[in-house]
Amino acid sequence: MKVSLKWLQKYFDEPLPNAQEVADAYTFHAFEIEEAEGDLMDVKVLPNRAADCLCHRGLAKELAAILNIPLTRDPLREPLPMWDVGRPTLRIEIEDPKKCLRYMGAVVKGVQVGPSPAWLKEALERVGQRSINNLVDATNYVMLDLGQPLHAFDAHRLVERGGACSIVVRDAKDGERITILTGDEYGLTPERLLIVDGNADTPIGIAGVKGGSVAEITNATTDIIIESANFDGTSVRRTAQALKLVTDAPLRFQNRPSPELCAYGMQAMLELIQKVAGGDAVGVVDAYPNPATLSPVSTTLSRINGLLGSEFTTQEMQDVFLRLDLPCKVDGETLTVTPPFERTDLLIPEDLAEEVGRILGYDRIAPTELPPIAGTPDQARYRGIERMKDQLVEQGFTEVSTQSFAKSGDVYLANPLDATKPALRTSLDENLADALERACRIAPLVFPPGQTPKLFEVGTVFPTAGEYLELRMTEGVPAWGKDAPTVDNLSIAKLEEYGKGYELKRYTLGTYQPFSAYPFALRDIAVWAPAGSDDGCTKSLIEQEAGTLLVRCDLFDTFEKGGRVSYAFRLVFNSSDRTLTDEEVNGIMAKISATLTKKGYEIR
Amino acid sequence: MNPGRPHPLTVAIREIADIFGRMGFGIAYGPELEDEFHNFDALNVPPDHPARDMQDTFWIKDQPGKVLRTHTTAVTSRELERMAKEGRTEARVIAPGKVFRNEATDTTHEAQFYQLDGFAVGPVGTVTLAHLKGTLERFYREYLGEGVKVRFRPSFFGFTEPSVEVDAWFTAPGKEGKWLEMCGAGMLHPHDFSSVGLDPKKVAGFAFGGGIERMLMVKYGIPDTRLIHAGDIRFVYGFEKKTA
Repeated sequence: MKVSLKWLQKYFDEPLPNAQEVADAYTFHAFEIEEAEGDLMDVKVLPNRAADCLCHRGLAKELAAILNIPLTRDPLREPLPMWDVGRPTLRIEIEDPKKCLRYMGAVVKGVQVGPSPAWLKEALERVGQRSINNLVDATNYVMLDLGQPLHAFDAHRLVERGGACSIVVRDAKDGERITILTGDEYGLTPERLLIVDGNADTPIGIAGVKGGSVAEITNATTDIIIESANFDGTSVRRTAQALKLVTDAPLRFQNRPSPELCAYGMQAMLELIQKVAGGDAVGVVDAYPNPATLSPVSTTLSRINGLLGSEFTTQEMQDVFLRLDLPCKVDGETLTVTPPFERTDLLIPEDLAEEVGRILGYDRIAPTELPPIAGTPDQARYRGIERMKDQLVEQGFTEVSTQSFAKSGDVYLANPLDATKPALRTSLDENLADALERACRIAPLVFPPGQTPKLFEVGTVFPTAGEYLELRMTEGVPAWGKDAPTVDNLSIAKLEEYGKGYELKRYTLGTYQPFSAYPFALRDIAVWAPAGSDDGCTKSLIEQEAGTLLVRCDLFDTFEKGGRVSYAFRLVFNSSDRTLTDEEVNGIMAKISATLTKKGYEIR
Repeated sequence: MNPGRPHPLTVAIREIADIFGRMGFGIAYGPELEDEFHNFDALNVPPDHPARDMQDTFWIKDQPGKVLRTHTTAVTSRELERMAKEGRTEARVIAPGKVFRNEATDTTHEAQFYQLDGFAVGPVGTVTLAHLKGTLERFYREYLGEGVKVRFRPSFFGFTEPSVEVDAWFTAPGKEGKWLEMCGAGMLHPHDFSSVGLDPKKVAGFAFGGGIERMLMVKYGIPDTRLIHAGDIRFVYGFEKKTA
């Protein structure tokens, strides 16, 4: 949620602290800040608070509680007017109250569509929204201010019957079509909820997602119908995703704001329209079949402290609820909170403990170690598996880890990420063979001459009969017998006994050194060494002369003849940023040879 | 014969198992091809929750109700279920294992990775958020090094209440110290207990979960998570040698 500090300030008489302090207040007591720059702050509102905090009012309310400074005014605590239904200029009908929890419609006549006043334009632009016209801007402003999505239809584009327009909220019919405000046309199915011109039975909007172009506000619009409604979150989310129209309104509905909010959104909208576009509200109609209610939540002082591991007092807790504007009654040890309508997240005693913990601050929770527990922790199976690995490492095997997805198998994903690997592996065989092939190619980089890679992997495989943990090796261990298997099912092996009490080998790794993506070059050099030199100093000479492109130098042969000693080295060259050319490597070798010759070596 | 090498993830999990073992934690396993109940329902993830959508979770063809587990918290759920069956009111368990998320890969994300989940449960009042902080502080200190501090920030997970994000203050060699997001955690939600037959009025506890690759990357300076499970021995041998 993009928030403007200037917009937030509107809610406070006292000047807010600087942006960094505001960001810290949110971070440690409410929500993470994804990004902050100047007046703008991107607040990552948590899913359980998206019902009331995807708006400036909600975030101002949080800030007031965290910083303990009073809110100048709270639009959700102001009395609602007794709306004059007036002449029946609008009829509303909800087909399924589970999909549309509330629908308020207001007819406003005689508005003047035009550019928004500077303050409104500026306010929207500060949070990255584009100004369109005074009516559309007003709907956006109220949504960003209070969290209630709104829509405005051109009333003249709806058919009037008996002096009244009719709005019906119903499922789409199979094959029904609608053109939305962007100009795109969509074919519909019964899972899509529609706003329909009831007198003409034509769709004028996709409920909670996007308005239709048929009743679009234009510069010629004079009479409008304002919609302040509440649609089922799941239905809206699925529609928005299916039609790829995940915009501000569906984002809010899918988090299930209270339907009570509709009335406050409508109130703010009518006030704002009056201010920026004029006109007269001639009637407000409210279809609200099942008014929402929240139940009080009770907990106790010891329960909260017993969960948090804290020693907060009743007074401190009461103060937290006061700051959050959550009416709280205290009776001895018991605290009972009656959540205001917009706090749909407060349902169980643990929710109250969270409010106390985060507002007073988790830094006040002292780290405490768990007391010792009776008995030895059960790690036997784990140790059994690891003991198998230790045996193989001792026998010269290197462990690899590969991906579980495969080209084919017995079990297929309904929604593969990589279309070329839609199945789950039935064996480690294929991945291990690939890994071995690659290991052989790059072996000179990691192994001394003469050592060939031997690999193993332990991983879950998924044959039809059911998943199990497979151990697979690229070859057998001669010491274990010629016919010793190279594959094992560790899910049926009795590893608990094997692992009980086994002390695992410990390894210490240093910092990671990235390897090059470019091919390496190999060169051998054999020399007769002068008297008084040995393999170590010969190697040092080579390394000094070769420079940083030499990544490995191994002695692989030594012999004596006629009182002289011959050493043969294998040199591996590799660059981190390019493919080395033969000329370049030969040049280095020539330099090495020259230096060695100068030092009395004879190149063989 | 030269010995081979275990994979760095094996090395990491050994250290993790050892540290938690000294704090009384056992190790548990569960299936990677998990049922919806243990992965979602039992953990208070409602049926129409976005996390269950195709773009977040891998579902199995022709096997409705089966998913590739999205977290090893599914093992926690199975272990709580076992506690209920065995009539126990106390347990401490970690579950390191592979998990799957249907998301695009980049240097810090993979569709399959290892997660370390853990929980401690005891009679109400004996395991608290303060114990969570103490346990994780000791773990990160022993795993990442002295000087590591832990802080909590508010967060939300369906299966914990309260929920927190856990940051660790870590100073990489030659760099300035900074706060790093390490895992999500909180107090197990009453639903987690009641859904598997434990009484939330009698038991309570904490749980935590985070990516193991992330810990590896932080500790050893690995630049790209995709190196870890690529089956490449250059990665296995890519660490400055130190002896045990």
